[in-house]
Amino acid sequence: MENNERISSGEGCADLTKLVSEDGKNMKSVLCQRCGSKVLCPGMAIFAEKELFLPSMRKKTGITQVEGTVDGDMLTAHWLVDDMYTFENVGFTKDVGKVKYLICADCEIGPIGWHCLDDKKSFYVALERVNHA
Amino acid sequence: MDPRYEIQRRGGGGGFSGGSVGGSPALTGAQSRRRKMPPRPADYKLQVIIIGSRGVGKTSLMERFTDDTFCEACKSTVGVDFKLKTVELRGKKIRLQIWDTAGQERFNSITSAYYRGAKGIVLVYDITKQETFEDLPKWMKMIDKYASEDAELLLVGNKLDCETDRVITRQQGERFASRISGMRFCEASAKDNFNVDEIFMKLVNDILNKLPLEMPSRELSNSVLSLQPEPELPPELPPPRARCC
Repeated sequence: MENNERISSGEGCADLTKLVSEDGKNMKSVLCQRCGSKVLCPGMAIFAEKELFLPSMRKKTGITQVEGTVDGDMLTAHWLVDDMYTFENVGFTKDVGKVKYLICADCEIGPIGWHCLDDKKSFYVALERVNHA
Repeated sequence: MDPRYEIQRRGGGGGFSGGSVGGSPALTGAQSRRRKMPPRPADYKLQVIIIGSRGVGKTSLMERFTDDTFCEACKSTVGVDFKLKTVELRGKKIRLQIWDTAGQERFNSITSAYYRGAKGIVLVYDITKQETFEDLPKWMKMIDKYASEDAELLLVGNKLDCETDRVITRQQGERFASRISGMRFCEASAKDNFNVDEIFMKLVNDILNKLPLEMPSRELSNSVLSLQPEPELPPELPPPRARCC
């Protein structure tokens, strides 16, 4: 997993100041890239950096239980919430090991985020996998 | 649902303004420069279960309510466990939790837990399949046994798009519902999305009507919406015949 090609959060770095408020929260709504479904309202999540592997969003290459065969990205820039009821709309996959991936509740594209069953107060949504408006 | 994952239980009833994330009261006042204030948290969190015999379209009803489309990327490989959806009704923000249990046709002790927590129960049959209508008393027994007496009941005759294959009249459905106190009835088509949003909003509305007016949302934190796993059909029942669509 750690050897996967790393995609840094740099892609959005220049934009981070437009996305993250002074108190570290999301200034804009977090939306599905595909259907625009609202995942988070402004100000509901905090910006967090954590290296998380998310399987590719492309069709047919999704999640499998076997590590090492999964196409995906190592992502570091996330929106973090500590209570799943903070989300406006979100879906959770079934368990993959100790992880539940977050998907769009409407069009079910994903994974857009990550949640570990060992930490019930951490729900991550990758900045690169959502739109902001 | 994985019993280890007790998402609906939240210690201390802290509501979701607690903690360092999301709507911290200490910060909201100081954020006057921000264009938008953080929205208020949900007023209610409701559990609704959708039950009915195999093939009546429970999952379709849920999918139609959540959206008209879906992507295979996650679903085909891992499957969706549950969804959180937000609706607004009468100026209240309501979080619904929906379990997608397609393919989990098991009937065990978790099932009774679903019933117990449900504020609303949608009982579905297929207007083109006699046996799904005849199964209704069996479902009512489950409701009587496990569900809260306060749970709102809604009977749905699904597959209205298959009118030509109809074998259960609207009157039969109405009559069944009228014999059960407080049970509402409607017909719907998940295929055409006819009446589907209305079904859920009607149920949510009925649930809100029963709730104390100014109950703080944290007292309702145990309410989640889930999709009921289908029980295995008893051996004496014939397998549902696929006649329609």
